[in-house]
Amino acid sequence: MTGKADWARLDKLDQGIVEKLARDARISNRAIAAELGVTEGTIRTRVKRLQNEGLIQFTVVTDFRMAGSPNLCMMGIDADPSQVSELARSLSDLEEITCVIVLLGRYSLLAMGLFTNIEQLNDLVTERIRPMPGVQRVETSVSVHNLKYEAGIAKITRDVVAG
Amino acid sequence: MQIRSGRKTTPPSLDTLDTNIIEILRTNGRATNQEIAERLSVTAATVSARLQKMEDARAMRVVAVTDFAAHGYNVIIALGVKVQGRSVQDVGQELAAIPEVLSVNIMSGEHDVELLVALRDFGEVQQMLFDRIASVDGVIHIRSGVAVDIVKYEFNVVPL
Repeated sequence: MTGKADWARLDKLDQGIVEKLARDARISNRAIAAELGVTEGTIRTRVKRLQNEGLIQFTVVTDFRMAGSPNLCMMGIDADPSQVSELARSLSDLEEITCVIVLLGRYSLLAMGLFTNIEQLNDLVTERIRPMPGVQRVETSVSVHNLKYEAGIAKITRDVVAG
Repeated sequence: MQIRSGRKTTPPSLDTLDTNIIEILRTNGRATNQEIAERLSVTAATVSARLQKMEDARAMRVVAVTDFAAHGYNVIIALGVKVQGRSVQDVGQELAAIPEVLSVNIMSGEHDVELLVALRDFGEVQQMLFDRIASVDGVIHIRSGVAVDIVKYEFNVVPL
């Protein structure tokens, strides 16, 4: 499910590098090299490979407050099974939707987005999502409190940026 | 709408230099302070100080985002949990303590708590659901969905 990459492709050194970077994404290659007892060039090559394989990505996350303290909204969507794949693509194309997961079980699709007001959410659901071909039902719920979020673990789906 | 963790919600104000630094790091979080400084015609010390200031204010953080696969997580499940006889907050806190539970949200909607859980293989699902999550006091119902494809997953705005 998680694509071509797998744990088996990460050897001990890769795992050591990932661990250091997870703790401090800005640590220099030189510092990692010194701690793991290899050359700086080795670290540079390994990090590059991990990036190219879509296993690691370095980016910025900003706090909720910087985006006007939005609420995370979840939309559970039941759909005509023959249209689920196409729907997943259409939902991904919506800028307001930050996460689209094809599911087995409770819904056909789970979509999420951050919204600063309820009207904006309602407009999206009633005017853009419900009319999509194959959508049978949209169940919306709003997060009132986030207790945990692991910003460092994700599905890397974006194109890997060089560097 | 307002949330959430009880912390004050006034955002720190960022100037143009701050946002320019963020933009550069967004595309390459490994750019050195020196590289950023050269592109913005300031000193590396300035970049370093600005980054420190923004991180201290919990405005932003440069992160190494690792793919689920880099942790050996091959199964992702989305669970809706119903709670009875105990505060939803307390149940949520207890669920958040489980390492494989990547996110916990208290919801207004059909379910009281929404969880995203990562597991190494399908064999772990049963134990996670029926031993670990179901044994948390107050959990009375779990509705589960298994991810077969994650088409989009872009969380650039997070609770810090």
